[in-house]
Amino acid sequence: MKALCWEGINDVRVQDVPDPELLGDQDMILKVRLSTVCGSDLHLLTGHIPFMQAGDVIGHEFMGEVVEVGSGVTRHRPGDRVVVCSFIACGRCWYCRNELYSLCDNTNTNPAITQHLWGADPGGIFGYSHAMGGFRGSHAEYVRVPFADHTAIPIPEAVDDMSALFTSDSAATGWMGADLGGVKQGDVVAVWGAGAVGQMAARAAQLLGAERVLIIDRFDYRLRQAETMFGVETVNYAETSVGDALLDATGGRGPDVCIEAVGCEAHSTGPQHVYDQVKSKLKLETDRPIAVREAIYHCRKGGSVFVLGVFTGIVDKFPLGAMMNKGLTVRGAQQHGQRYIPMLLDRIASGELVTDHLATHVMPLSEGARGYELFKKKEDDCVRSVFRL
Amino acid sequence: MNTAGKTLLAAAGVATAVVVARRRRGGSDDQGSGQWLAVTVNRAPEEVHASLPEDLTRWRDQFELRIQPATGDKGTELRVKPTGDVSRHDLRLALRRAKSVLEAGEVVRPDTAPTHPGPLGKALRLVTNQAGGGGRL
Repeated sequence: MKALCWEGINDVRVQDVPDPELLGDQDMILKVRLSTVCGSDLHLLTGHIPFMQAGDVIGHEFMGEVVEVGSGVTRHRPGDRVVVCSFIACGRCWYCRNELYSLCDNTNTNPAITQHLWGADPGGIFGYSHAMGGFRGSHAEYVRVPFADHTAIPIPEAVDDMSALFTSDSAATGWMGADLGGVKQGDVVAVWGAGAVGQMAARAAQLLGAERVLIIDRFDYRLRQAETMFGVETVNYAETSVGDALLDATGGRGPDVCIEAVGCEAHSTGPQHVYDQVKSKLKLETDRPIAVREAIYHCRKGGSVFVLGVFTGIVDKFPLGAMMNKGLTVRGAQQHGQRYIPMLLDRIASGELVTDHLATHVMPLSEGARGYELFKKKEDDCVRSVFRL
Repeated sequence: MNTAGKTLLAAAGVATAVVVARRRRGGSDDQGSGQWLAVTVNRAPEEVHASLPEDLTRWRDQFELRIQPATGDKGTELRVKPTGDVSRHDLRLALRRAKSVLEAGEVVRPDTAPTHPGPLGKALRLVTNQAGGGGRL
């Protein structure tokens, strides 16, 4: 079959690879229909996450049709249309039972790597390095889905393929940020990053009752899309002081909830960006946490900050004093998608949630390298490249 | 090689060194006494007692076993201490596999990778070959 493979730093190519096989009774094989790039894939492309081997199939946000199931799969049958959570979950460990699916104890096949890095191993992810389990990714004609009953979710008839696709990761991640960030009726919420995850977090905040939602980015086309689709307020940090804008929007208090949806390769316009670039080049920090610093600094006293962006290691200039003295609650997580995807599909079916506008560039898998290039360089107003198989 | 490539090389090297070093450091107690290894299983103690998986029972004469309830309704703490020839690495791997079988009914396997690793990938493969049974237990 054809698959888009990581072949080295900033080098992805479509290759012929063997078809996947059922390896366990609870596995199923999915014929992928749609698979999208994700901002976190860029960390693989740039070599920021070094646990890749040439030939690894990438991609983790996808939907498709079931073609084969193992004897232990009870919830899916060949022909079913399903969306697959990017995180693989056994559904029965303590973390899964407590709806903390991305922390599943039983799905990372290489636990020692992340245990050494982080003190414990999170669950496995499709197509996201050998540190996260070594599972093949979804930019392929077929993919094996382990623990299929708990990792794949049926798509209601009323939801089209493209809308369902984004519940696999970006919509679920965004919703989690607003939910676990504690958004309540009447809150003012600020979201850093107007990509797919940031837009979904902003919309989730609205649906959870936020009175005002502001979204922050440097790309006007993304801000315009968020404003047009959801009516959120926008702040272009390349043109406006983020602090001034947030204080103005909140009568001098600061946002009640701040959601960071940028991650470890953040940009800024000021000297802070240069500082972080130098520090990371000197290996004195692994990640650039600019948006996290801003979120903590600008959050109101007693407010909440949720870190959705992917981080890998250590950062510098973490504003611990601001966090402690302002009495903030700071949380972060990889997505617990199984907890949210069925609800998100229902909201899409009812018209409350729109996601398909995120697919700005739809193309065949054979154009995978071009899709990543557009996405990485933010060319042609690209929000997400989607591969149709 | 560009900067990113050097970063990759350094990180892979560090990871390899860490895993290998920990394997070596564990060598002195690999054959016997040493500390207890533990996992928490999300099953009741009597269920764990009644259905210890073959991954563990195959070494049954080579470790001391303790099974006790975990705090806060978190299941059962399964502790073993090697007393025979079994290495801590093998016992650690067996514990993880046993937990997975007890909780989820099977041990998930990684896909057969269609990879063709160069030197860096081969270094990573050395790490992942050990990574299933390593770590904090």
